[in-house]
Amino acid sequence: MIPRRYRNWVLFWTPFIWLVLELLMYPKDVPLAAGLSAVLKGFFSARIGSYPPWVLVLGALLTAGFGILGLVRKSKARAFSLTLIGIGVVFALWAFLAGGGASGWSAGENVIAYNWVLQTIVVLLGGAAAWLWALGNPERAELTVWNTHQVWKLYRANWQGMVGLGILVFFLSMALLAPFLIDHALLDPNAQITDASGQLLGPYHPPTLSYYNWFGTDQVGQSVLAQFIWSSRISLTVGLLAALMSTVIGAGIGIAAGFYGGWQGEVWMRLTDAFLVIPWLPLAMVLAAAWGQNFFMIIIIIAITSWPGTARVVRSDVLRVRELQFIERARAIGSSNWHIMRKHALPNVMPLIFANLVLVVAIAILSETTLSFLGLGDPLNFSWGTMLHYAWVNGAAGLPAWWYLLPPGIAIVLVVLAFTFIGMAYDEVLDPKLRKREDSGAENRFTARGEAPAVAMGGAGAGGGGGMFTPGQQTDDAMPDFNKPAGGSIGRPEGGGWVGGHIKDDEEGGEE
Amino acid sequence: MDKRRYFVRKILNAVLTIILVASFNFALFRILPGDPARLLLPKGKQPPEAVEKQRKTFNLDKPMWQQFGLYWGDTLRGRFGMSFSEKRPVTEVVAERIWPTVLLVGVGTIFATVVGMILGVFAGWRRGGAYDVVTTNLGMVLYAMPTFWFGLLMIMLFATKLRWFPTGRMEEPGVELHGLAYGQSLLRHLFLPAFTFAIAYVGEYELIMRSSITGVMKEDFALTARAKGLSENAVLWRHVVPNAMLPTVTIVMMNLGFVMSGAILAEAVFNWPGLGLLSYDSMQKRDYPVMQAVFLIASIAVIVANLIADIMYYYLDPRVHA
Repeated sequence: MIPRRYRNWVLFWTPFIWLVLELLMYPKDVPLAAGLSAVLKGFFSARIGSYPPWVLVLGALLTAGFGILGLVRKSKARAFSLTLIGIGVVFALWAFLAGGGASGWSAGENVIAYNWVLQTIVVLLGGAAAWLWALGNPERAELTVWNTHQVWKLYRANWQGMVGLGILVFFLSMALLAPFLIDHALLDPNAQITDASGQLLGPYHPPTLSYYNWFGTDQVGQSVLAQFIWSSRISLTVGLLAALMSTVIGAGIGIAAGFYGGWQGEVWMRLTDAFLVIPWLPLAMVLAAAWGQNFFMIIIIIAITSWPGTARVVRSDVLRVRELQFIERARAIGSSNWHIMRKHALPNVMPLIFANLVLVVAIAILSETTLSFLGLGDPLNFSWGTMLHYAWVNGAAGLPAWWYLLPPGIAIVLVVLAFTFIGMAYDEVLDPKLRKREDSGAENRFTARGEAPAVAMGGAGAGGGGGMFTPGQQTDDAMPDFNKPAGGSIGRPEGGGWVGGHIKDDEEGGEE
Repeated sequence: MDKRRYFVRKILNAVLTIILVASFNFALFRILPGDPARLLLPKGKQPPEAVEKQRKTFNLDKPMWQQFGLYWGDTLRGRFGMSFSEKRPVTEVVAERIWPTVLLVGVGTIFATVVGMILGVFAGWRRGGAYDVVTTNLGMVLYAMPTFWFGLLMIMLFATKLRWFPTGRMEEPGVELHGLAYGQSLLRHLFLPAFTFAIAYVGEYELIMRSSITGVMKEDFALTARAKGLSENAVLWRHVVPNAMLPTVTIVMMNLGFVMSGAILAEAVFNWPGLGLLSYDSMQKRDYPVMQAVFLIASIAVIVANLIADIMYYYLDPRVHA
């Protein structure tokens, strides 16, 4: 049977995910001030859930494909595969309706009445699928529960991780609840805010106790607080999506580079090295200037300039995993490369990939802020970087209008710090060596991760004990440090970079 | 290990990477959507004759392989075309912007290295103490902070409020200064941008140095030094620090290649007339030939810095060629 804790999870997470999705898609133009009934109406309005059709098509293809694959391969949980196919069908129907129905895909307007119903069905079916999967694979479900519980127990003990999580929960709730916190109409170019007597506050009015004016006004007399709250959505979304994309690219190339020895691996590694030395900001500026400035382009640009770090880290871990005995055995009984990669290598490097993902999110948010600050952001969607851009070009620093500059900057620092803390805490959970190192008792766990540092390294000058701030150099022919799967050093060496590595040469120099 | 083989291998690697990056630079402006000839013209009015002329000057009318050869010929001779916002050869525009950047980056890096290392040495030495907790957390915050935001805060505080330093530029507009007065004014103008540039790296170098010190202190020779009765100071400065410096210096060296991103932000905020401001301005004017040149220079800087770091490492650490 399903372990009870797993069942409870499904019962908790299904409505939770539903709520998050609904909140994300809540129409922007139904403010709280319109009254509770209007809010409820807006919540269930026809326009909720305006996903672009291609997302739905992708969802349909993925779920249905995975379900059919499960059926064909006669996997244990038959009902699970069938449910997946069911989800695929719902997605397909949804895409058909969202694309304008029978009248064609050109309609573009995604205004149909059943979006939220379809979304609810998909989420419920998803919950059911999770349940059915556990029914078919009780041992694996139990193992998952147990693992997660262990990870959480270790994670909880790390105060930095908990602080990071707290900060993150705060900003995520702010982003999700934005429609209920402040009116989106305040971002309209003509929406200057007024004081109690109906008088316009005017440009650069310092903060007062009146809610809209908590953070003062900007150069045209708009509410900085409204911009701040709505910006959190874009900053976080871009950061998360870009990091996800970058990790997918990086992990894919990293696994390929680590798994195929010989010239194939060499080619992937050369590519990674070449991308690693390309200074990301000049490249991103060229791309953003040429490709135009919108939400998706920014995500793609950040992703393609930030993957090499992940690729390196993943590769070095794959090199470690590749030598493990069970893989040798799998090879001996004739498993294909593809099978080994998918079934043995990927699950073993997955925790590392996840830890990296969290750290890449921090970098992606900083990158998005930087691009937006330079005026390359999406002009239609405010992010914290865009706010700083406007503050800068309109001379807020020379006024000085501190209320316009401080909130977005502090928010960025906090969010980046939160993701860094979470990533490091999770890293510590993964690597028992980092935990045990508290010999002095009073040790600060921050960077207590240097092994004997990178002094005795190979000719490549290859670096060091694993860990984020441990010195080390990236080298072209690195051998993994077998003791240390730490997921620390990804990202960009520049901009105060995440240099360092867990890539360590042989003691005698892994050159020849 | 064989010294010659090591060097030859490193240099070949660097050359190969430069070739790859330069080819990428060639491809970059041809895979971009839209007609490259149009991209290489200013936005706005683009008469067909001008587009044709542009096609000729950039050899865009020739087949791809021929373009590739011509591109290499031009690049090797240092020809990057004309900047269309300044109507001068790109080489000239870029050349006069290099020195301010070198000054800014040099001063900033020295500052960041010295301060970061000293902070890190004490944090690593007294690990777990109050000083360590404070500096390490400070390092993390500095690390998470966007450079440009810090720059704006500096302007707000020191230039606008306190009026200790000018808000930007390298010299007062319209004032001719010579000799000592010029130097003084230059330093005043340099302080804020260099400080802003450095602060991003201080946190990083602090954390690296701290971690490095921690590791070295666990080594046997540190224990021996203590056991034979050396004073704490002697152990720290004679035995631990020199060994811990090595990896940190290498990282500083490698980071030196990546300064372009920091320089762009610091220079844009402070109007410092270097390469960073040049690339920001040319981005706004869509001056692609200049952007291309700056991009190539920045990439080559990284590769060369890496190579120097490798070579330095060979001489600094006897264990490499033991």
